[in-house]
Amino acid sequence: MSEIKPTDPAATNTGEEKDWAAAKAFFDSLKTRKPRPPKPQYAVTIAVSSRTLFNMVAERKIYEEEGVEKYVTFQQEHENEPLMQGVAFPLVKALMTVNSRLRQLYPDSEELFDIVLMTNNHAQVGVRLINSINHYDLTIERFCMTGGQSPIGYLKAYMTNLYLSKDGEKVTEAIEEGIAAATMFASGDVENQLSDTQLKVAFDGDAVLFSDESEIIVKQHGLDTFFEHEKEFENKPLAQGPLKCFLEALGKLQRKFYAKNERMNCPIRTYLVTARSAASSGARVLKTLRSWGLEIDEALFLAGAPKGPLLQKIRPHIFFDDQMFHIEGAKELGTIAAHVPYGIGQKYHKGKLIEQPDKDVKDKK
Amino acid sequence: MDSMVRNPDVKQRDAAQAVVVAVSSDAIFDPEVEQVHGATEPLRKGDAFSFMKAIQVVNERLLTMNSDETLLFDVILLSNDSEEKHSRIIASAKHYGLDIGRFCFCNKEDSIESLQSNNVKLFLSTDTNDVCKALQKGVPAALLYRPTDPHHQTEDQLKVVFSGDVIGSSEEMLHGLREQGFTETQLQGFKTAKGSVKEFAVLMGEMRRRFGLEGSPLCTGLMTVWSSRNVCASALKTLRGWGLLVDEAFCLAGAPRSPILNLVQPHILCLDGLYHMEGFTGMS
Repeated sequence: MSEIKPTDPAATNTGEEKDWAAAKAFFDSLKTRKPRPPKPQYAVTIAVSSRTLFNMVAERKIYEEEGVEKYVTFQQEHENEPLMQGVAFPLVKALMTVNSRLRQLYPDSEELFDIVLMTNNHAQVGVRLINSINHYDLTIERFCMTGGQSPIGYLKAYMTNLYLSKDGEKVTEAIEEGIAAATMFASGDVENQLSDTQLKVAFDGDAVLFSDESEIIVKQHGLDTFFEHEKEFENKPLAQGPLKCFLEALGKLQRKFYAKNERMNCPIRTYLVTARSAASSGARVLKTLRSWGLEIDEALFLAGAPKGPLLQKIRPHIFFDDQMFHIEGAKELGTIAAHVPYGIGQKYHKGKLIEQPDKDVKDKK
Repeated sequence: MDSMVRNPDVKQRDAAQAVVVAVSSDAIFDPEVEQVHGATEPLRKGDAFSFMKAIQVVNERLLTMNSDETLLFDVILLSNDSEEKHSRIIASAKHYGLDIGRFCFCNKEDSIESLQSNNVKLFLSTDTNDVCKALQKGVPAALLYRPTDPHHQTEDQLKVVFSGDVIGSSEEMLHGLREQGFTETQLQGFKTAKGSVKEFAVLMGEMRRRFGLEGSPLCTGLMTVWSSRNVCASALKTLRGWGLLVDEAFCLAGAPRSPILNLVQPHILCLDGLYHMEGFTGMS
């Protein structure tokens, strides 16, 4: 997976420095003293789409049934009515909590979460989006409203570490461009049960943190071959998966808390929730993480048991998995799940090969 | 003193109703080329070429919808070149089939006057200094954006982006910048910039409304470079109040602007105050 941030963060040209200085001046001059967004090359940038940040189901229906002009008019007419919270909302609040803690401990650091609104909505809809952001007092200062164009190119331009959307096609495109991305699924009203002091992120292992190389073996040669293979190659690190760099970015921020003796009180906690078994195939995963210099707070080996009940206990703000089967299982029990459309798992459903339909002419919105 | 030459190959617009735009010839035709005396072959394409083609697309679409349309782009090529180059410029315009209504040949010192006397709604140049000078003299001007890869810039759609940091900032906000290292000249410049952008924005708004939300040959955008989201929202509403409903909006809040501009690839970048950033060092 490509490195998103420039390898030498200090190498910015004078034009950029001027823009940065002007931004700093502007935010410092504000009476409200709201925190200014961090320098992109140091930040962990998370781009969210408008439909993940806010619940726009009713509005979406208008768009699909009556067309774009009616949709934009509707949004303009309701500009001053805040939108309802969306599936990524709890995650955004948790990111903001982490930022507050980081700012307390490191007041001059630019190593923070930066939340960017990335939408192909028409700019006129933007007024309602900004009003809604104001209503909930979210720290989102950067956005791209591309008026119908795909936002994918902008993800790179904003040095995005993670992209969340409801649109599976855009997410697939982002992953193909080397950007960690996932499609979010609504799961009902869970936010009042989620922690508001600690960000919890759960990851599946194969084809999410790691490549799908082992999953290919399972699908094509069966479980027995898989176990033998993993035992034989226990000490050979797996290749990276699409979300590895995001875990790495989280780890970097975690270490900032450890450095200030806040390990017990760290507001970020990571989980590995894998179908692998601790007794056999699990060892390779732990050794791989160690070889990458990455830590994960809790590794949960289910040995094939359903993930839903365990996730229900963990209550993560987001859970990443490559297989829709697990996403559905998580959703059923109220977990906020995000599908990573990567690897061999996309061609199978519940163990059976999916017939690939002919590609229709798709509406790109 | 200027000499104004009408282009016989192009149907003359009603200058009172049209959006008269003056473009520097150095932008349309590459000035770097070695001038060989007596050379007659067409000049090489310059940075503004795709802009010229895009303007043509907009005009053609407008005329297709209404053959009596008067709200069209009317391009004046502004040249400070020596007399021996004049006929070559005219011939090159014909060679490429450029929709240039008039050629204005004058000395560099007289350029501003020529712009003022021809009711130019916008002067376009790839040179930021020329744009600044024109703006200081009260001539509405904007930058012809030079993309890193000129061949990549679209010719099918004209993209006009307005910067909104000053448009969207209240008097109070601009006043507050005084303590942050901005000079009095810069702050005064911001105030006048706001006014100069308005007329062109109104015209673009009117033209944009001739087309639907999708499939428009004219795409308008707003970008704020250093301000917060509320300044961007305020700029959106201000433009809306002037009749311009922009299609795209970008709020950078200090993020580097080149990667974004390289993607947006505007032809015209209306800087409301950004050019005043030259020389800004902030609080050290």
